[in-house]
Amino acid sequence: MTKAELTAHITAGFTGRVQVLENNQPEPYFIVNPDDLVAFARYLHDDPALQMTFLMNLAGVDTGERFEVVYSVCSYQLKHRLLFKIQMPRDNAEFDTVMQVWPAANWYEREVWELFGMTVRNHPNLTRFLLADDWNEGFPMRKGWTGTDFIPLPDRG
Amino acid sequence: MGVIKKLPVYTEHIPGGALVTTSVNSVLTLAQAKSLWYLLFGTACCAIELMATGASRYDFDRLGMIFRASPRQADIMLVAGTITHKMAPRVKRIYDQMAQPRYVLAMGGCAIGGGPFYYDSYSVLKGVDKIIPVDVFVPGCPPRPEALLQGCLEVGKKIRTLKIDEWS
Ligand code: SF4
Repeated sequence: MTKAELTAHITAGFTGRVQVLENNQPEPYFIVNPDDLVAFARYLHDDPALQMTFLMNLAGVDTGERFEVVYSVCSYQLKHRLLFKIQMPRDNAEFDTVMQVWPAANWYEREVWELFGMTVRNHPNLTRFLLADDWNEGFPMRKGWTGTDFIPLPDRG
Repeated sequence: MGVIKKLPVYTEHIPGGALVTTSVNSVLTLAQAKSLWYLLFGTACCAIELMATGASRYDFDRLGMIFRASPRQADIMLVAGTITHKMAPRVKRIYDQMAQPRYVLAMGGCAIGGGPFYYDSYSVLKGVDKIIPVDVFVPGCPPRPEALLQGCLEVGKKIRTLKIDEWS
């Protein structure tokens, strides 16, 4: 499906609970409520006209005001792809795992948990695997983070 | 190392022992410098250049340098690549497992001082000399194979200046 067809199909199929983010990229971009995340993922995966069976990427974002998690999914069968994201307040960032839909989300969600400190509900194995074993300096991908060995880039004007 | 530690003791009983000690020293350091077996170990892009240097075009073997997969058999550790804080204790441990005498060559900006990851990095160790002693630094990102070969020759030169009772 083309970008316009995807947008029309999803806004009709997931009525009222998905917001379209206008952009000039080739893929459509949606915002969903964190509470609707698993339902939306299940819908994308199971709808016969979408068949988004492959999770390409899952990334955390700290915008300074809030946390976001961006999902990129595609369909090998139907050769189309899209992006969607959820937004959460910085002080209470919690979202559900989508592992029951895309098992590939396992390590991505662990990474988001480890580097941003967002809580992933129902994840089977939230354990550290990227940072040093004796790490105790918080969440390094958050805005404004500093640590003992951290040298910020000087402002060269 | 047992023989080397005892050698000066043996030679002192020989009349004119100083001459013999010097010769033994020269032979042993020559042998060591011409057969630097290196630990096959690379953590980032510099390792690709290390492989290129080991392959037929630049050919480490003609310097007597053969890779060893075990730190117990290696004389020199070529730190080829970025060392993260997570990797640092492992590097230290591999170094401790190497038999003496042992040498370290830090290859590339990352191993020397963090390289491109010096600023704004939470994960990269700013120089491998913070955890293990380094004999020769080879700058570059990555260094050319010629530079790495010269660095290895410099290690050889350093070994030739040592006395056997300084080996440790
Ligand atoms: S010095 Fe450059 S080439 Fe070598 S490991 Fe670091 S980034 Fe890679």
